[in-house]
Amino acid sequence: MILQARGLVRSYGATPALRGVTLGLAEGEILAVTGPSGCGKSTLIHCLAGILRPDAGEVLYLGQRVDTLSEAARSKLRRGAFGVLFQFGQLVAELTAAENVALPLMLAGTGRREARTAALSWLERLGVAELADQRPGEVSGGQQQRVALARALVTEPRVLFADEPTGALDTLAGEQVLGHLVRLAREQGTTVVLVTHEPRIAGYADRELTLRDGVIDATGMGLTDKAVGA
Amino acid sequence: MRPSAAVRLALAGTRTDALRVVLTTASGALATVVLLLAVTVLAIPTPGKPGDTSSDSWSRQYRLELLVEPGLRPGVVIALVLLAVPVLVLAGQCGRLGAPARDRRLAAIRMAGATPRQTAMLAATETGVATALGALLGLAGYLAGRVLLHRPDAEGRLLLPTDVPPPWPGIGVVCVGLPLLAMAVTVVLLRRVSFTPFGVVRRTRTRAPRPWPVVLVVAGFGLISLLQPLARWADRRHWTLPVPLFPILLFVAVLLAAVGVVVGTGSVSHAAGRILHRFARRPAALLAARRLMADPWSGSRTFAVLLVCVLFGAGAAAVRAWFASDFATSEEASRWMARAQGQPYVPRDTSFYFDSMDLVNGVVGVATALAAAGMLVAIVEGIVSRRRAYASLVATGVPRGTLARAILWQTFAPVVPAVLVALVAGAALPRGIAGESRAGGGSTQYCVGDWDLCQDPNSPNLRTLEVPTFAHTIPVPFADLAVVGVGALAAVLLVVGAGLLVLRSATSVDELRSA
Ligand SMILES: Nc1ncnc2c1ncn2[C@@H]1O[C@H](COP(=O)(O)OP(=O)(O)OP(=O)(O)O)[C@@H](O)[C@H]1O
Ligand SMILES: [Mg+2]
Repeated sequence: MILQARGLVRSYGATPALRGVTLGLAEGEILAVTGPSGCGKSTLIHCLAGILRPDAGEVLYLGQRVDTLSEAARSKLRRGAFGVLFQFGQLVAELTAAENVALPLMLAGTGRREARTAALSWLERLGVAELADQRPGEVSGGQQQRVALARALVTEPRVLFADEPTGALDTLAGEQVLGHLVRLAREQGTTVVLVTHEPRIAGYADRELTLRDGVIDATGMGLTDKAVGA
Repeated sequence: MRPSAAVRLALAGTRTDALRVVLTTASGALATVVLLLAVTVLAIPTPGKPGDTSSDSWSRQYRLELLVEPGLRPGVVIALVLLAVPVLVLAGQCGRLGAPARDRRLAAIRMAGATPRQTAMLAATETGVATALGALLGLAGYLAGRVLLHRPDAEGRLLLPTDVPPPWPGIGVVCVGLPLLAMAVTVVLLRRVSFTPFGVVRRTRTRAPRPWPVVLVVAGFGLISLLQPLARWADRRHWTLPVPLFPILLFVAVLLAAVGVVVGTGSVSHAAGRILHRFARRPAALLAARRLMADPWSGSRTFAVLLVCVLFGAGAAAVRAWFASDFATSEEASRWMARAQGQPYVPRDTSFYFDSMDLVNGVVGVATALAAAGMLVAIVEGIVSRRRAYASLVATGVPRGTLARAILWQTFAPVVPAVLVALVAGAALPRGIAGESRAGGGSTQYCVGDWDLCQDPNSPNLRTLEVPTFAHTIPVPFADLAVVGVGALAAVLLVVGAGLLVLRSATSVDELRSA
């Protein structure tokens, strides 16, 4: 197990968002998390990625507690071992696509020139190399998400967290982004937690998990299992 | 749309909107007080015959010499009006607080069928009502201040012209004119934003700013450097230049330089961003550089006021050094002459000049504080309006420290060089007129004993004294200039520090769910 969650509970004031979620991910596994709006999917992925701290329960990455780490240590984990992809608006509007992708590498101390070279090769792999010097506002939503995917993958994270990465895209653009995401994850052996509320998209995953009112819906479990990693 | 509906819609906003209205009202009140003070100074009655400039026309009931002499009062009025400028700029900056949300609200109103003119009127109404309220508060404060501050000292002298009856026509002009001006400015600023029924389209300038403001600064300096040759040239031909020519040329030169500095802030920011971008090695510098290049105009108005403050502060320091050097040189000459004539030396009272310079420094200090407050608003606004992007960056593991450093870079990269330029410009302008102080020279006749003995030009008591020329280069007031420059930078640092306090809340996870 590369990532594990045990009995995660989290509420916002009086609103419970997670009410005891336990799950585990095998290395290289792609897990789809589905469920109706407001069931706690985003809260779950934020807890797993160490963006939020659960009120109770624990999150383990490679057997180490994540939720008890300091803010700085979790931040370091997110820019190293984890990659994070959101629905929209995560690119820095003022930076070019290549600079956006190079940013995580530069944060890790890579020189600017080297970081740019790496960024260009990732943009190439995602089929958006020609947009390298465009700003996010000058390209389409689907292209922005591909740039964002390149940024999430450029540090070659071991776990990729994607919260409705295609939620703001039309079907075709969404399929393209997901196609890239799944292909690259398989190539790199990246573990993926993919939140979506479109059941069709869950078909890309190895395993699907349905949340309902902050708990895992047992009736939905296992039905779409195609393969379960070791 | 009926007016009542318009007012209701204009006032239906969030907490930021409320804050913006409060700040607009407060700035309006402050500007009103300052302008009413100016109107009152103008209304100080002049005793004696009209046109009489002797001491008969002085108003000896005041403690401040600047108020006593009618000839000095226009300067005071100009200083007060200039002080109102940063206050109004601050109001303008506050007007952008929470403006994206308001723009969206106005777009929604457009969607509901309002015309563009109506949406602009809504925004103008908000500003107008807030400023009118501020003007009323300012008027109340002014009237209360007249009573409360009317405390003659032991010699019956007053600090402020509280004995002048309220000049009602002038008060009317200020209290009505200020809200109208604010409304007009709002409408003009909103022309760059169009509320289509599909949302807000802000027309931003995509072109890099032009370097022509530099031309203005250079022209100002050029004019100044022409003054001395012009004077010498006229001297050689024994022409007397019309008296107001010199002050007018000087004023034009300072105006050119100041306008150049003010309209040049966008170019300065853009150029600073370009240079920073070339050399940026770390993410913070890269983020700052791109941000400066993408939006060099953000906060440029308050930045401009800061620079003008530095310009005036440095200019005042240089003028003070000039005065000091001039007085020291003429004192040296007078001492020499007194000794040569065997008379006691009576020092001259020069405190008036230094008091005036202190007043200038006070105005510059207050204006700097106001500019800093405006920059704070601009920085906070910049962070808050980018909170979604900042929150995403933090979520992907960008340390908040990197973002904070980016904001520091972004503020200081243009401010440091611009402050240096303003310092040099301010200090150099007075030097363009006089680089050295001179006294003595030529010969003078004096009488040994009583003047009666010297009525006859051939009297042996009448002696001629050859006075040597005393000349000193006016020193560059490095210490004062350092105080001005460091003071301005410290104010900016303080402001950035305060602005960064909102970074934590602006990068919380909650921001990830807001569009
Ligand atoms: N900051 C917050 N304050 C209050 N309640 C919140 C907050 N964030 C989430 N909630 C509530 O927690 C519950 C779970 O929210 P969450 O965003 O995790 O759902 P979701 O499954 O991601 O929904 P969606 O599919 O719409 O994105 C919802 O009922 C939501 O209203
Ligand atoms: Mg969600």
